[in-house]
Amino acid sequence: MNLLLSDDYLLQDYPENITNTIRSGHSTCVRFNRKGDFLASGRVDGTVVIWDLETMGVARKLRGHSRNVTSLSWSRCGRYLLSACQGWKVILWDLRDGKRYREVRFRAPVYGAELHPWNHLQFAAALFEDQPMLVDITEPIEVRYVLTSVPKRTTTYPDADAAQREKQAKEDAKNMTTAIVYTASGTHLLAGTTKGRLNIIDARTREIIYSEKIAGGVITTLRLTESGKELLVNAQDRIIRTFIVPNLSAPDLDPDTIQLPLEHKFQDVVNRLSWNHVAFSASGEYVAASTYNNHELYIWERAHGSLVRMLEGPKEEQGVIEWHPHRALLAACGLETGRINIWSVTTPQRWSALAPDFVEVEENVEYIEREDEFDIHPHEEIQKRRLDQEDEDVDVLTVVENGAGLDEGVDGFRMPILFNLGESDSEEEFVNAAPGTLRRKSPGDNEDGGNVTGEERGSGKKTAGGGAGRRGRKK
Amino acid sequence: MMPAGDGTVPRPPGPGRRLALDRPAVPKEGLDHVPVPTSHLTLGLVHGRLLGPDLDLGLDLAHAHAHAHDHAPFPVRARARAPSPAAEAPVVLPRVSVRISPDGRWIASASADGTAKIWDASTGAHLETLVGHMAGVSCLAWSPESNTLATGSDDKSIRLWDRVTGSPAHAVAHREDAAATATMAMKGMAGKRGRRPRVGVPDEGVRGGKTGRGPLLGHHNYVYCLAFSPKGNILASGSYDEAVFLWDVRAGRLMRSLPAHSDPVSGVDFCRDGTLVVSCSTDGLIRIWDTLSGQCLRTLVHEDNPAVTNVCFSPNGRFVLAYSLDSSIRLWDYVSGSVKKTYQGHTNKGFSIGGCFAVLSDADDGFEDEDASEDGIRRQAFVTSASEDGDIVLWDVKSKEVMQRINGAHNGVCFWVDVHGSTMVSAGQDMLIKVFRHRPRHVPVKREYDSSSGANGVNGHHDDYLPDAAAADEELQRTIGADAESPSPQVKEEQM
Repeated sequence: MNLLLSDDYLLQDYPENITNTIRSGHSTCVRFNRKGDFLASGRVDGTVVIWDLETMGVARKLRGHSRNVTSLSWSRCGRYLLSACQGWKVILWDLRDGKRYREVRFRAPVYGAELHPWNHLQFAAALFEDQPMLVDITEPIEVRYVLTSVPKRTTTYPDADAAQREKQAKEDAKNMTTAIVYTASGTHLLAGTTKGRLNIIDARTREIIYSEKIAGGVITTLRLTESGKELLVNAQDRIIRTFIVPNLSAPDLDPDTIQLPLEHKFQDVVNRLSWNHVAFSASGEYVAASTYNNHELYIWERAHGSLVRMLEGPKEEQGVIEWHPHRALLAACGLETGRINIWSVTTPQRWSALAPDFVEVEENVEYIEREDEFDIHPHEEIQKRRLDQEDEDVDVLTVVENGAGLDEGVDGFRMPILFNLGESDSEEEFVNAAPGTLRRKSPGDNEDGGNVTGEERGSGKKTAGGGAGRRGRKK
Repeated sequence: MMPAGDGTVPRPPGPGRRLALDRPAVPKEGLDHVPVPTSHLTLGLVHGRLLGPDLDLGLDLAHAHAHAHDHAPFPVRARARAPSPAAEAPVVLPRVSVRISPDGRWIASASADGTAKIWDASTGAHLETLVGHMAGVSCLAWSPESNTLATGSDDKSIRLWDRVTGSPAHAVAHREDAAATATMAMKGMAGKRGRRPRVGVPDEGVRGGKTGRGPLLGHHNYVYCLAFSPKGNILASGSYDEAVFLWDVRAGRLMRSLPAHSDPVSGVDFCRDGTLVVSCSTDGLIRIWDTLSGQCLRTLVHEDNPAVTNVCFSPNGRFVLAYSLDSSIRLWDYVSGSVKKTYQGHTNKGFSIGGCFAVLSDADDGFEDEDASEDGIRRQAFVTSASEDGDIVLWDVKSKEVMQRINGAHNGVCFWVDVHGSTMVSAGQDMLIKVFRHRPRHVPVKREYDSSSGANGVNGHHDDYLPDAAAADEELQRTIGADAESPSPQVKEEQM
């Protein structure tokens, strides 16, 4: 609705400065829901916190993990949230009541788990030093399908001797899947391995239909745009790559002719930076990355492959970053403090909006008086003329959607408003350091005095950035 | 029919005394019933039956107002801008508010004795009295899920209530937290208590607000209007301190303060997607705000600059309906910044009376069987308003014609009208709350009678269908009189 009134509202489509800092415990990963009104964050202590982006306050807390939360994934409707933790566990939460909807245990820590984009009862998980799994939780007892990390061989050697086969098997065994995502349609899975290979897996047959070495190191992150046509890959070889994903759900798809053309390589050749985490912007127009051992966030434009902005924030290395699904807003987790920093655009107040008689002009405009401007008419006549002019047909009922197209299908679920969130805040600042003793969770908070609550946030003004910086310096 | 309170009839005690502005004598023909064409009777809202206001409420309110005068007199604001004959007199805006919950099942009423009451919309039974405010309650808002009621009071605070328990919505958290703190102290945490956030410490002028327990404090003057965002996560409040506050409902924290107006803020509302807030004030301005950024996006002001006393968005969020003290209701297109329609025919010169959009679909008219298709349902919108002569007036949105006028719905001023589906509720100076229902066009009158009397155990006070508006009016008055005498809350039925 507000788009109707803001002509220059979305001029700037990448964030500029820190607008908010929110904290609940020590967050390690964040993920926006599809509608973009909630942000889920996973904490070191295993708690998952749902933030309301409109109020920048906690909407829900989910307790069930006991270890660091490693990944989060929202269902399309925004009602279910899948969280994976280092404690070998994946939980699907129902946000209607905040209860565990399903819990799946693995025999290894989970790197990441992603929900099927259309079916919240199916997910794929990448496990630490184990084969990735495709899990169907439609039935009360989940069905697990083990996927392979072994690259597809284009040529087979039927006559190869045992030694060669053994060598190959040994090599294959070194391939471990480290990241796995669904394609937009959910028919295929994209998996990245420790050897820098990308495997495309058919989700139905669970076979690798395509495999290629795309990076020189371990693939750490795979991200797709909302349309699923672009793939963003972060690997440990200090290069961020973008690829064009072919239409894998085409009926006449021939696995042998799949091509995954490389579009861009982003790297910092001067500083030789490596990247902690990467994210696509809402439309895929920009690529953002957090840097290893560095405080800045980098933003590249994808069309030209050029660096457009280096975002400065608190003096702290940023970990997981996420771009809002339709706004110019970035959320990043500070590695040291566990705060979630939010970069966004601050639009200046248009002063003409406050006084309807005034307009903002660039240069002097000579005023031309209307012919009847100072004519005096009786009040009744003016009133009558006014009322007669109101012959326009008005429609107060029909809802006109303003092209944002966000409402399809994602509008169904509304999170209940909880008032009793405060009850848990008293304990969350403290962790068990040793039996019988407690210490404060974040060492940086000891200097903050007594006025910091469990959920602090910036004031939403520019001073927030300054405040965060001040806190940073104190340490 | 002489509407009470037009200068000839002594006004009953109560809110009338708050009115420092003596309403000028208005020509009687302008006030009394505008003849309603019969076609309108069939088309418009014909209230099938009237659920009797019960005695309890009447007495309570009567008591309340007298009480309020002793301790919390309404401020006198000498900012009369309305070019009315009484322009030199201070304009004050007393208000009795009544609201139907979004699910249509409950009615909440605010009272000047510092309490709010919750009623069952279908039976009229009194369910809950919410006690806690230190001064009169002038505004109410239901959360979208109808589980929480927010009340704003002259004690400068806003309280959130749990509809089911009737207790403050934050109280549970408060108690548990206190328990948790106590437990922690026993565990040896006492030494670190000093570092804990101090509960109730003022923070940016917010006491209790930050910790989310107890009332929402922050306004420097009477809280005068409230609105929940469509998701229920944000509460907007307008106050006599001339600011609009946006509250994080979950935490009870002041999120944003909008330096809104130069006079008391008399109305706030959220648009349907929650991205815009509209506020209005007796300074004559209507401002549209961006919820997220807190910036003013548009200001609407009429040439005559009448004091605006109530404002709401249209159902599709594309227009703003503003009630002003020149006895006009204006429909603004806020994008172009122009008035699209002006509705006149009611009287509104001193009170901030309330009204809203009413939407009737074919289903409400008993057409549902004939027209089953989902998008084939015709919906018709009305503008409803209370009137200071005690009437309730309904206009057609497009033609600006008065579709129906319920003459003398209340003795004295009718303060507030709220409509939900086919139910309409009104509150007046006579300390009564009345519930009206739309009578479907295609349902025989007799059937309506039977079903309702069976369900509600009506005391046999049946009247024949009276097509004549004047006669019906008379009948209505009689019913009210009878109600005032009835010893227990009872449901009365009335045909007009």
